[in-house]
Amino acid sequence: MRYVFFILFICVMIISGCKNKLPIEDDISSAHFMLVNQDSAVVEFPDYLRGKIAVMGFIFTNCPDICPLTTNNMQRIKAELEKENIKDVLFTSLSFDPARDKPFVLKDYARIRNIDLKNWQFLTGQMSVVDSIKKKMHFFAVAADTSYSEDGKKYYFFVHTDRISLIDRQGRVRKNYKGSTINIGEIVNDIKQIM
Amino acid sequence: MLRIILLLLLFLPAKSFIQIKDAWMRPAARGMNSAVYFEIINDGSSADTLYAVKSDLAKLTEMHETYQRGNMTGMRKVNNVVVKPKSSFKFQPGSHHIMLITMQKEMKQGDKATILLRFKRSGDIKVNVEVKM
Repeated sequence: MRYVFFILFICVMIISGCKNKLPIEDDISSAHFMLVNQDSAVVEFPDYLRGKIAVMGFIFTNCPDICPLTTNNMQRIKAELEKENIKDVLFTSLSFDPARDKPFVLKDYARIRNIDLKNWQFLTGQMSVVDSIKKKMHFFAVAADTSYSEDGKKYYFFVHTDRISLIDRQGRVRKNYKGSTINIGEIVNDIKQIM
Repeated sequence: MLRIILLLLLFLPAKSFIQIKDAWMRPAARGMNSAVYFEIINDGSSADTLYAVKSDLAKLTEMHETYQRGNMTGMRKVNNVVVKPKSSFKFQPGSHHIMLITMQKEMKQGDKATILLRFKRSGDIKVNVEVKM
């Protein structure tokens, strides 16, 4: 009898341990932001994600190195989920450079990368709205390093958090990952945990 | 006669021990930015310095490096890259890259282009680059 109790105790510990693996990092469910997607359609964020699991990346399209890695990793996550027949996951890329990333720019960014937009939205919006989302999600981006062309035109880039976030069906951020070097297997397993 | 030969030798280009391997670039629409990656192999017994990159693909072409500041990531211009003798140097994602700022034409997967790398010892080396995801 003592042996049975011991086994039950171990099982309970394992199950509760698994549940605690993905604590709530940020609850953004009560927030309400108006953004636009790559087709200039209005999107209410995070409302439109409600009821779905979401993988969200932060990008600016003038970034040639880190943000394409993040976007490419999201494509790999999407492919892996499709391979495992896991549905109900939405993909979102939010631009933190709305001054330059207009909807048509985001659409071009997706097109050139052959991204299927069926369950993937590229979002932008008013600077103040994007700033509020950044603040809410503890994401940081500062315009910094600058290059100049021969005719004196200024090109600025950002120092920024390198991030992909996993959001659950209730609109809560369950885990943040380093977007450019994320372990695809890890996030796929985490998605399975919160399905 | 010997003087003439020595003089001619002086003006002959130095033998290049530099090889460029696995050059590729990211896709980009016209007006966007892209990055080029490759490996420089120096088989020579002297160091060589990559000091400039030329390309008509973009309005501005620079060498950049990605860096970490705490948990933040940024990138900055670098003026040159020294490749030590009998060693190699990788321009790779998340690290050094050739920054193509404001593409003058669209480059999509499978497209090919040429860029010019300028080395102090080995001179100009043309590199064929393919667009990959």
